Amino acid sequence: MAKNDASEGPAGSSWAMVVLAWLPVTLPLLWGIWQTVKKAAVLFR
Amino acid sequence: MAGLLSRERIVAKPGFNRWLVPPAALAIHLSIGMAYGFSVFWLPLNRAIGITAPVPCPEHTSFLELLIARDCDWKISTLGWMFTLFFVFLGSSAAVFGRWVERVGPRKTGVVSAICWSSGFLISALGVYLHQIWLLWLGSGVIGGCGLGLGYISPVGTLIKWFPDRRGMATGMAIMGFGGGAMIGAPLADILMRHFATPTSVGVWQTFVAMGVIYFIAMMAGAFGYRVPPADWKPAGWTPRAQQTSMITTGNVHVSQAWRTPQFWFLWMVLCMNVSAGIGVIGIASPMIQEIFGGRLIGVLGTLQALTPEQKAQLASIGAGFAALLSLFNIAGRIGWASLSDYLGRKRTYFIFFALGFLLYSMAPFAGRTGSVTLFVVIFCIILTMYGGGFATIPAYLADIFGTQYVGAIHGRLLTAWSTAGVLGPVLVNYIREYQIGHGVPNAQAYNVTMYVLAGLLVIGLICNLLVRPVDQRYWMTAEDLATARAVQAGQRA
Repeated sequence: MAKNDASEGPAGSSWAMVVLAWLPVTLPLLWGIWQTVKKAAVLFR
Repeated sequence: MAGLLSRERIVAKPGFNRWLVPPAALAIHLSIGMAYGFSVFWLPLNRAIGITAPVPCPEHTSFLELLIARDCDWKISTLGWMFTLFFVFLGSSAAVFGRWVERVGPRKTGVVSAICWSSGFLISALGVYLHQIWLLWLGSGVIGGCGLGLGYISPVGTLIKWFPDRRGMATGMAIMGFGGGAMIGAPLADILMRHFATPTSVGVWQTFVAMGVIYFIAMMAGAFGYRVPPADWKPAGWTPRAQQTSMITTGNVHVSQAWRTPQFWFLWMVLCMNVSAGIGVIGIASPMIQEIFGGRLIGVLGTLQALTPEQKAQLASIGAGFAALLSLFNIAGRIGWASLSDYLGRKRTYFIFFALGFLLYSMAPFAGRTGSVTLFVVIFCIILTMYGGGFATIPAYLADIFGTQYVGAIHGRLLTAWSTAGVLGPVLVNYIREYQIGHGVPNAQAYNVTMYVLAGLLVIGLICNLLVRPVDQRYWMTAEDLATARAVQAGQRA
């Protein structure tokens, strides 16, 4: 059985894919966190 | 030819970057995490017929008549049953379908989850349009609840296999998404309802349709983003630490054996106690801070009952702010504690949850008596990090104890602890509070005994955690059984 181990790390170009894959989940999450922070800020006024 | 959704179709090719898997898991968890945000629909649905104000049902309307009544509005308590259904069906479906999930792999599971969750929204939209509450319970509660369970466990085994060096962090990332889903979904729903609202509609059914479509697209993208690692894959340059610690097994326990071990039930209690205490607090966070501190929150003297309507409104918004702050710490704890557990070890991490949690719950009445809002807020923020951390660290704990082969299915069965806690925590907290008030305890002090009882739950959890030991080798799968299981998963004939 072929092992995909230490000798086979991710290809360099795949890091661009990683950034593209993370953006659609990170941006809405940051927006949601910002909305929550605004709501929570009332506590500190 | 392998089906589009089959496990063998999604085995990663050499050079695949494992960091592409967590966003796929997050897409699904952020979508199903909206379950926590459903209360955003309660007030508009409470006046779906009256539009500007609720139209109450006649006093002697029976339960069956309420189910099909079209000319009066639903009570918030009636709508709130959706939460119970969510968590009961989440736990049940995860427990029942866990083995199937392991067999078919994360992509097919993700697709089924997407269909269940989004069709739940569409059936609910029909329920709102026809004004039939049973359609909402069936759609979002039952069918959507099954989608929750499948979606929740879909990435767990896969992430643990991709990140054997950082199991806690990997599952923490996904489970953080479940905590964060309502942060996106609730304000989005609010925006959509305002957009769709007309003089004759509160805009909820249209919002359900829109969100059903949005979540379907997001979850399908996540499901199709899943890849499983080849058998025996390990990260470049990583050497397993298994020989260095007895609390990380080198064997694998079959899901049908795992629940026969004492370790499974100790961990079941660990999760149940941690969640019961936390979920109890989440449910009462807003009224609790208002009742304990009353006018002091806005710099005036007097209890909550003695304030003017304007002052009460100010307090309500502070209560909502406190609940929002707790939700931020809840998601921070999911990724923070789960990642830290990779270094501390799982048993030690839960020891901190229970020991520190016990101290903090016991200190909360003191903070209330001294009138220190800051201390009170800090106490509960830390508690909520450990509530979230408990959820996020448990899959890695299971993988350490039972091995990675069936961790998704074992995790599914363990989630029945969550369903139990979802009923136990709020019932316990509300019952104790009502009992105290009924016996003449002032509202501001009615939470003291509750806090001591929750601290007691954590002591039970602490003991169960201390009793967790490595699983006896007689429960381990043999090399032949493991090879057969892997061959079946790989779609080969054993």
